[in-house]
Amino acid sequence: MLSLLKRYRRFLLVAALLLYPLGAFLLGGRRGRDPNFVDRGVIALTAPVQQGLTAGIDGAVAAVRNYLDLRGVRQDNDALRLENLQLRATVQVLGETRSENGRLRKLLSYAEAAPGPEIPARVVGVNPVAKLLSVRISSGEKDGVFRGMSVVTPDGIVGQVIRSTGGYADVALVTDPQSRVAVRVQRSRARGTAAGAGNGPLTLENMLRTEDVEDGDLIITSGTDNIYPPGLVVGRVTQLEKKEHGMFQGADIQPAVDTSRLEEVLVVGSPYSQMATNGPSAEGAQK
Amino acid sequence: MKFLVTIILALVLLTLESVFVQQAGLVLGRVDVTVVLVAFLALRASLTEGACSAFAVGYLLDLMSGQPTGLFTFLAVFTFLVGRLVASFVDVRGPVAFALFAMGADLGHGLLSTFFTWLTVKDGHTAPLLAGMPVQLALTGAAALLLFPLFKRFEVAQERPAGLLR
Repeated sequence: MLSLLKRYRRFLLVAALLLYPLGAFLLGGRRGRDPNFVDRGVIALTAPVQQGLTAGIDGAVAAVRNYLDLRGVRQDNDALRLENLQLRATVQVLGETRSENGRLRKLLSYAEAAPGPEIPARVVGVNPVAKLLSVRISSGEKDGVFRGMSVVTPDGIVGQVIRSTGGYADVALVTDPQSRVAVRVQRSRARGTAAGAGNGPLTLENMLRTEDVEDGDLIITSGTDNIYPPGLVVGRVTQLEKKEHGMFQGADIQPAVDTSRLEEVLVVGSPYSQMATNGPSAEGAQK
Repeated sequence: MKFLVTIILALVLLTLESVFVQQAGLVLGRVDVTVVLVAFLALRASLTEGACSAFAVGYLLDLMSGQPTGLFTFLAVFTFLVGRLVASFVDVRGPVAFALFAMGADLGHGLLSTFFTWLTVKDGHTAPLLAGMPVQLALTGAAALLLFPLFKRFEVAQERPAGLLR
């Protein structure tokens, strides 16, 4: 028996190297495992290099762009001054609306939702496998970023943290085919689901045929999935398709954020661990 | 030593790729540098050494994917074994032949990856992955052309001259 093992040890080793990961994949499925100390070590080694390279390339590109931009700076300045005037007028109106809103909320005894922390981060690299569309950001556990938190820019939502280690985290993008976001139409408050389709626009799903949706409508997060906070911009409706039969209508959503050109992002919301202590919806969020 | 060099090379290539893809703004197109490395191993490494190196390279790719499931570790070893089998039938010497060989390996790797993804994520869309494959194959072929001289240089550096006492 021992001599047999000795004789075929090379083939047995290769078979183990082939079958062990296959078994892990078939048993573990799509979820993936939590990072162990080897994973953390490799990430701690590679992520700073990614960050350094990204910063170097960005610096060089910015230097060239700055030089080129100087040429049109006077016209831009005039245009921005005008825009600034318009925005200040809008801010004044919004201030009035805000104070009115506050008074009305008090009258209705609404509880003010406490804004969560906003953790800034820089995108340092992209996942080299197209199976899962994700990016790596420069904030992790030590900055207060944990699995399940949502990632946004001032323009709209970007995705969700799927793994966090020391100083870095991986974020699955909303455009990933596995991504689902609970949304509503801002104008009519109709609810649906925004599904990632790999690249380009998202797909609007589960929107009843009787609901009021039009091309160009703004889609925002509804917050009912307990992952993304409510009211964040997702995108605009395009290619609305109302079929004569069936329960649902379909449409594309042009994302508000171009996920292929991300630079800086904000991490907001609560991690899964906090959801688990807050309520029964944690199980749904984990899924 | 060769094993360590392979791992360091894989780490450097994956890091560079991840930054390149971000800077180039590619959505689904990727450069499969690890497949190029595994293809080279299939041509030059011994069975045990190549399988161990392919396992390590696959593990790194799995780790960089954000959701390590073991799929890419398995696929790297599988691609290495099939590559070795194919290499016994075809003669791969120059950079162009190597690029074609690497593209073939990438095609198999990509198709299997899409199949297994479909198997586990039935509700996901696999069509975009397949649609992005021609670009991926072309980019991987170009990367293979560029990397072939580098790999050969590393290989020559690893070979020790046989002395009288060996």
